[in-house]
Amino acid sequence: MAGLPGYTVNIAVEAPVENQIQEISYDGQEFYQTPLTMSESLTKLAAKIDFSKTGCEDIKKDPETSENGEDETSKDAYQSAIWPWDSVRNKLRNAYTEICVLADVVSIAKEKRYMVFDPIPQEMHEQKSMAQVYARKKALAGAASVLLTAAERLRTCQTEAARNRAVPDFHIELLRLRQSWRLKKVSNTIIGDLSYRTAGSKYAQTGLFEVTKAEDEPETSGESSPDPGGIARPASALRVIIPSELQGVAYIGVIVQKDQEDLCSASITSLGERAVNHPDLHWRQKLESAQNVLFCKELFNQLAKEAVQLHAPIPHMVLGNQIMASMFPGVQLIIHLTHSTTGGNVEKRESGFKSEHDHVLEHSLHQLLREVHHRNTHHPFPHPSSAPLGPSKRRCLAGPTAADRYQLLEMTKSQTLLEQIIQQAQHFFLRIRTEYVLDTIIKEVKDPIIVSHWNALNSPCVSCVKINIMTHGYDTVCRTSLVIQVADKSLKCVCRDGRVMHMSYELQELRDLIFCQIYQHQITAVQQLARCMGWQYLSNSTHLGIGAVEPLGNASSCILASPMGDRLIAVRCEPQGAVQVSIAHSPKKDFFSGQLVKERKWENLGGAFKEVRWDKMEGKNFLNKMELLMASLTSS
Amino acid sequence: MGVTILHQFPMLENRTGPQTIEFLTKRIVALGAVQMGQFLVDCDSYISMPSLGPQRTVHVLHNSEQPASVFSILETNTKTIPLVADGLFDLLMLKMTPIYTKKVAKIESKGPRFELADFCIKLGSVTISQNFKGVLVEVEYRPCVVPSNCVGLMREFLQGFLGSCVQSLPACLQNKMDEVYQPMDTIQQYLDHFLNFRKMAGYSG
Repeated sequence: MAGLPGYTVNIAVEAPVENQIQEISYDGQEFYQTPLTMSESLTKLAAKIDFSKTGCEDIKKDPETSENGEDETSKDAYQSAIWPWDSVRNKLRNAYTEICVLADVVSIAKEKRYMVFDPIPQEMHEQKSMAQVYARKKALAGAASVLLTAAERLRTCQTEAARNRAVPDFHIELLRLRQSWRLKKVSNTIIGDLSYRTAGSKYAQTGLFEVTKAEDEPETSGESSPDPGGIARPASALRVIIPSELQGVAYIGVIVQKDQEDLCSASITSLGERAVNHPDLHWRQKLESAQNVLFCKELFNQLAKEAVQLHAPIPHMVLGNQIMASMFPGVQLIIHLTHSTTGGNVEKRESGFKSEHDHVLEHSLHQLLREVHHRNTHHPFPHPSSAPLGPSKRRCLAGPTAADRYQLLEMTKSQTLLEQIIQQAQHFFLRIRTEYVLDTIIKEVKDPIIVSHWNALNSPCVSCVKINIMTHGYDTVCRTSLVIQVADKSLKCVCRDGRVMHMSYELQELRDLIFCQIYQHQITAVQQLARCMGWQYLSNSTHLGIGAVEPLGNASSCILASPMGDRLIAVRCEPQGAVQVSIAHSPKKDFFSGQLVKERKWENLGGAFKEVRWDKMEGKNFLNKMELLMASLTSS
Repeated sequence: MGVTILHQFPMLENRTGPQTIEFLTKRIVALGAVQMGQFLVDCDSYISMPSLGPQRTVHVLHNSEQPASVFSILETNTKTIPLVADGLFDLLMLKMTPIYTKKVAKIESKGPRFELADFCIKLGSVTISQNFKGVLVEVEYRPCVVPSNCVGLMREFLQGFLGSCVQSLPACLQNKMDEVYQPMDTIQQYLDHFLNFRKMAGYSG
């Protein structure tokens, strides 16, 4: 406090140094209250303000009156020091006043005698309404024009469609495409898949193709195809884009070659002669040929892989697009893949190969790969449902049937595609050869008639032929029958008496067997005939030890005696077909008593055999001649 | 798959098990047999809980000759029920442990396997938990499946290299002489011998 230094006394006004004592403990230690912080003291002061005092004057006057009484001099300083919140108080007071007035107005208006509330009409937007109408009108006009042009386009489109029905609809075409091919939409394009993936193929190459709408197709095709018939065929509204490696035509040819000479061949071509790679080919044919290309590629890929892996005695060769496998010595199986994108080349080569087209090998190639596909997707169900998935049904049953380890080893063996096709080709080759050998024998040998019946039902690797040998006119007397099973590398012959003979693929063995059967048939037939005629056969030998050595087998013979016993017939049959017949008379016609044999009774011993000149004998065939001979000898 | 006869070779005092096997091997090889690998027949026995009524025993056997199969023979008081199943049966038995508690030590016969023309000879040393118990000789005559047609031949063959100890036929073959021989019959013979070995082991120990 500054004053004049002469007559004023300095008074120290200060807060006590010590804080307030809160507590004194028993040992005399004092606990002080912590001094108030600024915010705490502010709240303490603010708590002292009494806002509830109703009159504004009261608030104003109250401190004044209280202060008046105590200390007039320090009033100004007090006001400025104590009321830093003056503006706040003033604002609150004004607000309070307004609220009071509003409460009064509301209470008066509630009585509805002096005052009434009315809503204030809104006139803000009235100035803009005309502009808005114009804007809306413009927008509607724009939308209407879009719709109108669309309708116009639709109408023209429809009238055009009505005018020429031939122009196909894109969506109808797409629907048709969707019915037979897998399609999906990827962002803005339609992608299709022509691979055999869903059918169980595991070939890596994708068969994706793209479908687009052929917008400008009519113009371009009209210009580019002035060939005959180009206008007559309706252009498709669809265009199919196929990857370049699947375009064109492919086929797999199977040739059985012996010493560079084709024996038979088969080829897969789904399109055949019409396989031309034209730009405006119908999408259906295009997709089918592309799928065929993919199939052929997969098949060839598989076969080539197996050809490299297989360890054959004569290794298979893979040269570019050709696989060579040897079936028999000197006989090869050639499988080649031809893929060409230009039509003319294929047709030329095809005509070269087409000399002996075989549908069976073609079909079996198809079938083999499709079986592989099928096996990939169709697993046998595990029999207890908790059992592992995968083993075949036979393997599942191996445990309960106590299969030993040889049987289990057999089960693990499986044939590859190439092995199977080689086996089938071998069988095919052997069957053709057998047919040929049998036919030539039938042509060569006229006397006993040989009839062969091929079974119509056979498996790809085994077929069966039944051979009947009989003599014309005597087929009830004697008939020799045998069955030959043609497998892939060997023949098996089952005779009527139960003998089984195994032969190799060398068909000379079959030829020899049939000739042996023929002469054995002749001897048995003579014996049967003799029985019918009342003759008795005295001896019979199928393997005669005397006479010239035969190149093949042994000659067989029999001796027959007439009912009276006075005539003898000896028959000797050789495997090469020659027949010798001799006769003897029992009382010797030329008996002359000599020095050693004097008595007449010795003439009954029978004389020497004299050979009959067989080619001069009457009769249609061997048995007929024998019958006539026996008849003549009986009667005399 | 042919007829099999299992025969126990008597042990001599002064020979150990491996010595006996070696002795027999020499004899067979002298006849011209060729060793073709090893074989193993083992048997686990499970006994049912006593609280579940009358006692039952399941013998589970494996034969290396039928590697995919598990043979089991269930013995009740009145009858025995044979069963051939696949490998899953072992897993099934693991699930049955609350009912069948395994009590008996595993018994097995293993050793070399020989082939001599149509015969297959197996010299097995029988062990119960690694303790040697005896020698079983198995002879199989593969071309024939009806015991009555070939037991004479087989007995003669057995006598040829085992000596005069071979006298009678296995008991379980006696009443099946004219039936087709099954792999289960071999197992039955093994089980009979195994049970004998167990009995002897029980008496001695």
